[in-house]
Amino acid sequence: MALLLPWILSIPLFSIVILLLFRQLSRNQQTLIALLAPIAGLLLLAPMIPDLLQGAVFQQQWQWLPVLGLQWTFRLDALALLFSFLIFGIGLLVIFYARYYLSASDPMPRFYASLLLFMLAMLGIVLSGNVLQLWMFWELTSISSFLLISYWSHRSDARKGARLALTVTAAGGLALLVGLILLGQVAGSYQLDVILSKGPQIIADAQYPLILVLILLGAFTKSAQFPFHFWLPNAMAAPTPVSAYLHSATMVKAGIFLLIRLYPAIAGTDLWFSLVSLAGLLTLLTGAYFALFQHDIKGLLAYSTISHLGLITLLLGLDTDLATVAAIFHIINHAVFKASLFMAAGIIDHETGSRDMRKINGLWHFMPVTASLAMVAAASMAGVPLLNGFLSKEMFFSQTLHQSVLGALSWLLPLLATLAAVFSVAYSARFIHDVFFNGKPIGLDKIPHEPPRYMRVPMEVLVALCIGVGVFPQWLVGDILLAASTAALQQTPPAYSLALWHGLNLPLLMSVVAFVAGIVLYINRKELFLFQAGFQSTLAIHRFEGQVQRLVQRCRQFSQWAEPGRLQWYIAAMLWATVLLAGYPLLQLNSLQGERGLLPTDWFSAVLVVIMVLAAMATVIWQRQRLLALIMISVVGLMLSLLFIRFSAPDLALTQLAVEVATAVLLMLALYFLPHRSPKQSAHATLLRDLILAGSCAIVVGSLAYLMLTHQADSVSSYFLANAKSGGGGTNVVNVILVDFRGFDTFGEITVLGIAALGIYKLLTGIPRFKPSADADGRSWALDAHPLLLRVVSQGLLPLALLVSVYLFFRGHNLPGGGFVAGLVTAVALIMQYIAHGVDWVKPRLNLQFSALVASGILIAWLTGAFSWLFGKPFLTSWFDYFDIPLLGQIELASAIAFDLGVYLTVVGSTLLILANLGKLTTRHKPEHRGQI
Amino acid sequence: MTTLEWLISGLLCVGALFVLLGSVALLKLPDFYTRLHGPTKATTLGLGSLVLASMVFFNLQLETLSLQQLLIALFLFISAPVTAHMLIKVAMHHKLKHHHTTQGVDKLPAD
Amino acid sequence: MFSLILLAVMAVIILALCLNIWSLLRGPAVADRLLALDTMYINSIALLLVYGVYASSQLYFEAALLIAMLGFVSTVAVCKFLLRGDIIE
Repeated sequence: MALLLPWILSIPLFSIVILLLFRQLSRNQQTLIALLAPIAGLLLLAPMIPDLLQGAVFQQQWQWLPVLGLQWTFRLDALALLFSFLIFGIGLLVIFYARYYLSASDPMPRFYASLLLFMLAMLGIVLSGNVLQLWMFWELTSISSFLLISYWSHRSDARKGARLALTVTAAGGLALLVGLILLGQVAGSYQLDVILSKGPQIIADAQYPLILVLILLGAFTKSAQFPFHFWLPNAMAAPTPVSAYLHSATMVKAGIFLLIRLYPAIAGTDLWFSLVSLAGLLTLLTGAYFALFQHDIKGLLAYSTISHLGLITLLLGLDTDLATVAAIFHIINHAVFKASLFMAAGIIDHETGSRDMRKINGLWHFMPVTASLAMVAAASMAGVPLLNGFLSKEMFFSQTLHQSVLGALSWLLPLLATLAAVFSVAYSARFIHDVFFNGKPIGLDKIPHEPPRYMRVPMEVLVALCIGVGVFPQWLVGDILLAASTAALQQTPPAYSLALWHGLNLPLLMSVVAFVAGIVLYINRKELFLFQAGFQSTLAIHRFEGQVQRLVQRCRQFSQWAEPGRLQWYIAAMLWATVLLAGYPLLQLNSLQGERGLLPTDWFSAVLVVIMVLAAMATVIWQRQRLLALIMISVVGLMLSLLFIRFSAPDLALTQLAVEVATAVLLMLALYFLPHRSPKQSAHATLLRDLILAGSCAIVVGSLAYLMLTHQADSVSSYFLANAKSGGGGTNVVNVILVDFRGFDTFGEITVLGIAALGIYKLLTGIPRFKPSADADGRSWALDAHPLLLRVVSQGLLPLALLVSVYLFFRGHNLPGGGFVAGLVTAVALIMQYIAHGVDWVKPRLNLQFSALVASGILIAWLTGAFSWLFGKPFLTSWFDYFDIPLLGQIELASAIAFDLGVYLTVVGSTLLILANLGKLTTRHKPEHRGQI
Repeated sequence: MTTLEWLISGLLCVGALFVLLGSVALLKLPDFYTRLHGPTKATTLGLGSLVLASMVFFNLQLETLSLQQLLIALFLFISAPVTAHMLIKVAMHHKLKHHHTTQGVDKLPAD
Repeated sequence: MFSLILLAVMAVIILALCLNIWSLLRGPAVADRLLALDTMYINSIALLLVYGVYASSQLYFEAALLIAMLGFVSTVAVCKFLLRGDIIE
């Protein structure tokens, strides 16, 4: 049955895909598809329930990154079952409710897809058996809740609220990640089973306080505990179904779930009790206090939620036997009544167009059924007997009476708990009285009436549960509560009884006091409101936005400082960094001369070097006449390739030549747009600065080269030389390194090349085209665009050039050549056709999609690599063999050839994509085709 | 030295001579129009001789099949006239100065 | 003897290259420099052919072939640039 677990997670995913693919479906069909996920999930869970209630644990796991201790582990026990019920059950009702809540103009697929993504993330948290995997889903809930809060993205408050929520919860998530990693290291494993069984060892560890604080940071930010509670009220900009789901039943409970989940591992110390109970107590009181002053119904509910979350946290921080049981019980009860209250708020908002309690009054006359339902739920929130909220609150009161977390001051806790309950009764009373009674509505846009029949159904179900659990607690939730508590504590909790009536005792008295005092407080609320109005309040959201604006401002200042947009500046920075990084180690050496002797002078090469140096100097001297500089630098390239050949590097020479020409063409295409002579640089200081920089570079790089050449380094090349033939099946070591030994690098490189080509193409589309009417000397252009002789001959040379490139490609594995050079030669041969005939002639004859060429090249290379997976080998394992073929004799087939084909196609596609489109910028009379991608 | 080596040496020397001549012409002749003759004619001819020498060496002396030189020669003989054609077009377009003994641009139609 | 002749031939070609760089630096017009560059391409091919015979290896002929091809393309491209400005129209 454990095999079913991944399915529970993948069903929401399936629904998401369907929803996003078929956006044309009717609203009802979309709702049905969305409903499929929770319904199927509940059905899948059903057969496992009996075993789980007996304490069974289902677990299923796959290897993911075993080196990091990361495994896909799905673990279902009774605690996870309880939360899964909440996630699916409330989710089911919320999806149904949202069908009627969202207006026709709201995009349903996006809403449902985000909601289901959130559902998936939440399930991921509760079903994770590995803490790193849990963290991943934890962050996914932050992201999906961001999407949900900002669903009405045209509203500024929604965007800001979403950003605030994401910042707070994701920052907490980072703390949590560190905490979980430390926890895993201390426990020796990231598997939940192991961590839960190592509780004493973890607590005894010196890092325990750090681990605890970090994990609590994560949990408290998520569960809106003081002082991180401020994001929750601002998240109320979300559509109300989202609030009902995320901010009452699920996401805010994730932090609490984590505390309960890790309870056996990290709880039970004094540090835990003081931190958790203090945070819970403060949250309980602040939430309850501020809830009373909210005029927005959802604001009231949000602060009330904060308060109830504080109550649960406080329970977890109490050192009594039954506190955890009470906490879990209250999680269920709170989810049920708060979700129904949010739904009521949504209905009121929907039917009146406002959520302001100063305007909405006397709704009893307009929507009696909704009013009755909401009043029952609010009464449950206040802790009125016969309702579920009463039971868990009683348990809470009795736990506060038996604890000793505050030492000698422990007697304070029951008092403060009662105080919080007083406020809770008061704001519940306000919710009932201010909305449904208290005169008539003021200044509403429309006359309220009952919502559509089915919009009330989810509320009815939840309110029925409030009453059901309130009256028959043992019968309805007794089993699951016991099983979940057992699973949470990893041991059977002490005996307790879930019943309505425990006799006349102190907790009952506290309830009565809270009730009476709460009503009195509400009646005299005017004084309190006046008192509260005396405080200057700055809203958290404004402070946060201010910080964000300041941060953005700083970043902008920094990037303006670091990126002034001057190419010279960047190059100078890069060169200085090189000089410093490479120059400093040189200072540590005694001598440049290594153990290798110098070779005898080869006068021929020396002359070539002199020619190269002369050309290089000429390039610098004529740098402002750009075409001359280009011609001079071509000489440098030519001499360099001759020297490569002289020193036995024919592969390098071929590549150098091919790149040289492609670059020259590229530069000429770019030069066309630039002034032919660059302006003279005036400042002598700049000249001196550049001279110093160039000189330092020359000194450092020259010394480095001398150092390298005179030292006998034991490099990796001897391995490549020895293994090229036996391991890679080729005698050209350079090519074998490229396509085999370092094939993964090459794969990354061609991917980068393809992306760069696409990026350049995209950048080029925006450039305005203009054609200078004359050249640098004011001569008008020649009239003959495509000389006949050039056209005829270049067309005739094309097959010859392609033949050469095919030849270079196939011999590349054993002799100089290969996919890269062959690709460049092909590209240059095709560019020659562009030069000779122009774009308009080539386009119909060369019907190639260059971007498709790039994509297919990368795909072929990837498939070659992935092919080895079929044989259970790692990515890009090469293969070669020799075959005897009649007539042709023995030939070799190597997977590297296919990989090289990928390289070839990518190079051809990228080069043409860049050059042809750069050339096309100035194509006249052709505004209709923007480029041949 | 065998006869074959003498033959190869002869071809090489002739080739080198013409290559050098082409470059000397490029340096010494008075204007662009005359200079163009050196590299495009003498050097190309010299290269032909060198290719021949190389083919004789590999195919007859070493008795290995070697045809790349032929491809080089073919390519060069086809492309050299086009290069010259394009260069002269540039020179005429730029109205480069010509020596008084050479034909003037005014007798040729504009490009 | 044979290899001495080969060395002498190579020396002559390198001498030609030196004359070329002189022409290239002297100019005076861009067309002159372009012509010098093109001559350098051809002389490099010549050098590689003789070096191939000297080393008794055919490994260098691909490079010579590429110089022939790419040198042509690059010279034509510069000519086109001088004539029309836009090399790909």
